[in-house]
Amino acid sequence: MTVVPSRRPVLEVRDLRKQFVLHHLGGRHVTALDGVDLDVAKGEHVALVGTSGAGKSSLLRCVWRSYLPSSGSVVLRRTDGTSVDLATLDDTTLADVREHEIGYVSQFLRREARRTAVEVVRGSARRRGVLDQAAAGDLAVEALGRVALPAELWNTYPVLLSGGEQQRINLAAGTVAPPRLLLLDEPVASLDPANRGAVLELIARLRDSGVAVLSVFHDLDAVRQLADRVVRLERGRVVAVGPPEVVLTAAGVAS
Amino acid sequence: MGADWALRVDHLGRTFGRPGPRAEAIVAASDVSFSVAAGEALGIIGESGSGKTTVLRCIAGDEHSSSGSVWLRALDGGETDLVRLAPSQRRALRIDRLAMVYQDPAQGLRLDVTAGGNIAERLTAAGWRNFGQIRQRAAELLARVEVPLGRMDDLVRTFSGGMRQRVQLAAALALRPPVVLLDEPTTGLDASVAAGVLDLIRDLLEEWGLAAVVVSHDMAVIELLTRRCLVMHQGRVVEAGLTDQLLEDPQHAYTQRLVAAARG
Repeated sequence: MTVVPSRRPVLEVRDLRKQFVLHHLGGRHVTALDGVDLDVAKGEHVALVGTSGAGKSSLLRCVWRSYLPSSGSVVLRRTDGTSVDLATLDDTTLADVREHEIGYVSQFLRREARRTAVEVVRGSARRRGVLDQAAAGDLAVEALGRVALPAELWNTYPVLLSGGEQQRINLAAGTVAPPRLLLLDEPVASLDPANRGAVLELIARLRDSGVAVLSVFHDLDAVRQLADRVVRLERGRVVAVGPPEVVLTAAGVAS
Repeated sequence: MGADWALRVDHLGRTFGRPGPRAEAIVAASDVSFSVAAGEALGIIGESGSGKTTVLRCIAGDEHSSSGSVWLRALDGGETDLVRLAPSQRRALRIDRLAMVYQDPAQGLRLDVTAGGNIAERLTAAGWRNFGQIRQRAAELLARVEVPLGRMDDLVRTFSGGMRQRVQLAAALALRPPVVLLDEPTTGLDASVAAGVLDLIRDLLEEWGLAAVVVSHDMAVIELLTRRCLVMHQGRVVEAGLTDQLLEDPQHAYTQRLVAAARG
């Protein structure tokens, strides 16, 4: 089970700061991240913990760059060995890097009205470079199977399905043709225990196969089960880093 | 800016002179620059009067730009500035290299011509002569945009708004132009009809790998169709970014207001 992380991290976050400037409130500043350093290696699962408002989701979004970092760097080492700073990368290249190398799974599904479940996942595989339609379709079916979505739902439109079913389609799309870096924001929030188990197993397997995982789980049992390292955030700063059994007990499991 | 753009716009501007001795010019658009790659859709958002439609019309050649350049990869490999072309050459581009889909289908179609006839006009303009082939191609296109074939020989005037918009898409895209400009393509349609037209647009963009510029004041349209976006205010681009970033973390005061209003 133990994967020795390679020396050069897949993701290297340095002195990351995020401030929101709220123009409608007279330009008030709100600090979400206040100088975060963080590494995630190939085949490593790093889980973010902390009370709500500590900056966990903000950090994930700054890496995905649906939040624009105010300063600092978010360096992704790409499959071809080159590095890019996601914090400052131009939009066109960023859009390509996202599609090819980063999976982002949140609680919310992007509206994909006239796409069936299998089409959503197949589209994701194709964007990750599996250009052959049939091969991408096979991968999609496999991915949907791994998140335990019943086969009779594969050709249904996700908008017609339950929250838990949509979330699993989302997960299948985020993990099909595995990305190099997987960002997970509460990926099992709306799942029942059986499906939760299947999804946790999938996440563990991806990490074992070399995917770098950065996650936020509300559920600390999932963190204990999956994380190699835990990073505790408080008010936008890293206050503790270490193995789950150390970080989660030391802080008295505050969150 | 990748080198693989299908459409490139550099410092585009459009001012109107105002009569009278001391009048200042009205700036409809100023210093607008962007590029769009094949298979990519770029959104332009902003309130009415922000200049977004003016930009589209200047690219299409419906209006004269006052400054700046427009380049199409499909024209001389991107070496010729469209702005310098003669009006007839500019119109010729609209046959098969640069399509525009208008908010009002009456601007992109002839309402007193049949659906099939509207499409046939595009094909004959491109040199198609065989009646059977033209009929067949028109039928294929109408099927693709989900207009019942039985209505092919009906005047467009007798069609519903959503159906007219589908025919306009079929006609505009009949010759698979590499670049398509969409000006508020679903505004004015009922929500459920609009959703169907939007889905169709997205399918066509993806299927045919078109480069698209989508102008809309509707964030849901922009979110569904585009991955990058410009925000225009008073004729200028105030912010540009990935669409999800602009919606989740708008930077400029104007964009924050716009997004808050749309989400409110």
